[in-house]
Amino acid sequence: MSSHSHVEGQLPHEPERATLEGRNKITGFWLFLGGETVLFGTLFAAYLTLRGQIMDGPAPNELFDFALVAVATALLLTSSLTSVFSMQAMHRHDVKGLIGWLLVTLVLGAAFLGVEIYEFNHYAHMGHTFSASAFSTSFYTLVGFHGAHVAFGLFWVILLLFQLKKRGLNTTTAPKVYLFSLYWHFIDVVWVFIFTVVYLMGKVG
Amino acid sequence: MAHAHAHAVKRRTGIMDWLTTVDHKKIGIMYLLAGGFFFLIGGLEAILIRLQLMFPQSDVVSAQFYNELITMHGTTMIFLAAMPIIFGFMNAIIPLQIGARDVAYPFVNALGFWTFFFGGLLLNISFIAGTVPDAGWTMYAPLSGTTYTEHHGTDYYVIGLQISGIGTLIGGINFLVTIINMRAPGMTFMRMPMFTWASFITSALILFAFPALTVGLAALMFDRIFNGNFFNPSAGGNVVLWEHIFWIFGHPEVYILILPAFGIISEVVSTFSRKRLFGYSSMVFATVLIGFLGFMVWAHHMFTTGLGAIANALFSIATMLIAVPTGIKIFNWLFTMWGGSIRFTVANMFAVGFVPTFVMGGVTGVMLAVAPADYQYHDTYFVVAHFHYVIVGGLVMGIFAGMHYWWPKMFGRMLSEKLGIWTFWMFYIGFHLTFFVQHFLGLLGMPRRIWQYLDGMGLNNLNFISTIGALMMGVGTIMFLINVVITMRKPKNLSNDPWEDGRTLEWTIPSPAPEYNFAQTPLVRGYDAWWHEKMEGNTKMTPVEPIGPIHMPSPSILPFFMAVGLFIAGFGFMYSKPADWGTTGLIIGAAGLLITFGCMALRSWFDDHGFHIEEEEILKDQGVKA
Amino acid sequence: MAGHEQTTQRSDVKTTKQEGSKKHIIAFIFSILLTFIAFALVMAGEINIDFVYILLVVLAIVQVFVQMAFWMHMKDRGHTFAIIAILSGVIVVFTCVIMALFWTTW
Repeated sequence: MSSHSHVEGQLPHEPERATLEGRNKITGFWLFLGGETVLFGTLFAAYLTLRGQIMDGPAPNELFDFALVAVATALLLTSSLTSVFSMQAMHRHDVKGLIGWLLVTLVLGAAFLGVEIYEFNHYAHMGHTFSASAFSTSFYTLVGFHGAHVAFGLFWVILLLFQLKKRGLNTTTAPKVYLFSLYWHFIDVVWVFIFTVVYLMGKVG
Repeated sequence: MAHAHAHAVKRRTGIMDWLTTVDHKKIGIMYLLAGGFFFLIGGLEAILIRLQLMFPQSDVVSAQFYNELITMHGTTMIFLAAMPIIFGFMNAIIPLQIGARDVAYPFVNALGFWTFFFGGLLLNISFIAGTVPDAGWTMYAPLSGTTYTEHHGTDYYVIGLQISGIGTLIGGINFLVTIINMRAPGMTFMRMPMFTWASFITSALILFAFPALTVGLAALMFDRIFNGNFFNPSAGGNVVLWEHIFWIFGHPEVYILILPAFGIISEVVSTFSRKRLFGYSSMVFATVLIGFLGFMVWAHHMFTTGLGAIANALFSIATMLIAVPTGIKIFNWLFTMWGGSIRFTVANMFAVGFVPTFVMGGVTGVMLAVAPADYQYHDTYFVVAHFHYVIVGGLVMGIFAGMHYWWPKMFGRMLSEKLGIWTFWMFYIGFHLTFFVQHFLGLLGMPRRIWQYLDGMGLNNLNFISTIGALMMGVGTIMFLINVVITMRKPKNLSNDPWEDGRTLEWTIPSPAPEYNFAQTPLVRGYDAWWHEKMEGNTKMTPVEPIGPIHMPSPSILPFFMAVGLFIAGFGFMYSKPADWGTTGLIIGAAGLLITFGCMALRSWFDDHGFHIEEEEILKDQGVKA
Repeated sequence: MAGHEQTTQRSDVKTTKQEGSKKHIIAFIFSILLTFIAFALVMAGEINIDFVYILLVVLAIVQVFVQMAFWMHMKDRGHTFAIIAILSGVIVVFTCVIMALFWTTW
């Protein structure tokens, strides 16, 4: 509520925490991420329960394409790093750097999503459709939920980029960008478990 | 603090005021109204169920309609009546109790209300559409799947609850942040009133339990609408998985419901015994422990699914453990009353009545926790009696106590005590008549969810008594409504502390509270802050700031439209199968989501500068009240 | 509102100490390394499956730990409730969800 209580022109080192509103947002977002942990945990549980039920469809180790997963992982991991750089730029009050690194993050995220869509398409052609088996349903739900999070993040960062362009960095925009970076790291963290539990363990057998 | 952004005070009136408000007190009232409305619908369903069971082999309702009634009664009462009424209290009271001017996210608060409301509306529109959910409130697969439920009943359940669940989840996060960040100076965690503590833990349970329900509902929706196979055994799906996911959410849900009632009872008992709550810190500890253990016991709903002896034994023990912190609470209430100068106001009668009733529900709970015995009780009326003892005898009694206790603070008028006493006895006796005999019906072997029973099985008399009790509860509820109507015609003339024994901060400000709650943020110098000042001979709290302009958030219509968007999207997706509207359904669904996300983007794009309530206005308010 | 007083104190707590990119790049390299080991472990094949499973999960947990500590700043001050939130989520996931899984697939 007190987004304008600051002396104009003197942005603090951590502008995202400068106002009560900003601090509320950060606390609440962390709590939200705690809830998201349970959401993805439940999806993982459903997947692990059902992953053996392949019926007539392809088995995980025949299906998964290692190269694609490696590329997707590299893209998302790097995008997580670039969003760290964007936060550092923000703390230096370097708006140009902030926008630049966010753009890089956006491009990497979009590339990740492209790879994933290609991958899903590829699997569907191999008979691994959503309705093929309990394995396929739970696979697409888990990885798809993650993909939907990525897509939401991309729209979010586009909106934020426009705001930064128009209004610059202030105590209202800073918390928004900070929350996006938390969100983006969280997506990356979930992906670490997805490539481990879904792809690598699927490949092992 | 800068006047640079002081905007003209823009205040709406009439219906637009209610549609756009972000004031936690108004949102609280809306929660009470909507929750009360759904409570009446659920109550009507309950009366119909009991009328059907009044005599053996009766035909008051058809078998199909009976199934719809039991499903909708359970779902409505839990998700659309009990939780919203609790949220109503949390909204109306928590900011006042912690000395805050508002909740952490006023906008999100309004959004939470509207998504809950439109989710509940969607669920109940199934009655008009003629395809009502009928697979029981637990929606066990495969009964709820497309094979056994071809009509749209389950879809209404899945999508309606998904939408209202979003509202509940963001409401929970809002209260967590409010309590963490918005407390007045001096209001440490261990000085927070018990109701605030209970709501804090409840909100945490919501945060960690509801995502599991989200996943479960999404999975069931995918199965039904997009031909998924989560719970379809012929394609490798697993039906027990639904039960696990549902109860991982469902058991914490029980504590989400009962903890705030514990909080209300603690406030009421302590106020009307004119004593500090006995064992405050052990009370806090017990609340946290119940919240923690609440997550470890879900499988006691599933003893008969064949989990195996080890699992059953573990969950048995974990379940019995919950009796320990609950017992701590019971004894603390008794010791609070012990030696106090007790006033039997209606609120206190409900609170005192709550204690033995809840103990009985707890005892049958421990009986059910004994896994081998549960094989006998499972799916009988014994279970029905047990959970109504904790939910009606616990939660609803708590709600009634809270209504009578905080009504003056919320509306500035006192509910009639005379009529309240009649309400209490009617409801209390009716409640025990209804559900006490159901224990014995269960032990005699009457299964739950059964439409008819045969004559000559020894079930006639007890069922008849039970129905009479249900009608009495209905009469009690109507008395309460009459009381509300009568009270609304009284003048608003109450003092800050109408009970005169108020202990917490909400009793230091006018009844009803002004828009900004506290003209000056108070300094909290101990547990039971207001009582603490009274004991030192002070007539008001020490302020920590001079009177000055107060910044308020602007009202907004966006939350309303975001919820409408979800409502439209739900309808679209529900009928998006080729047999229904096909692609048109998908387009409608996408359009609905576009409205929601569009409003979200608008909210992000346009900063809310809010407005200021000026000093003169605050002083004027004070002049009138003081 | 109630937080104005704290506003000014908070802002200049650590203004002097500029955060370098070095530790973040080290975290990145570490993450890449852990990922690479995980992939290599699977590519190698011919190893005891249970052993590989456990090792993969351990590698994932270590990587997530590193990223959360450094990139999400959970090791820094003022993150008590962040840690409580994530930890509670993890506890719920492990007690409920994983146990449920264990019993459904048993």
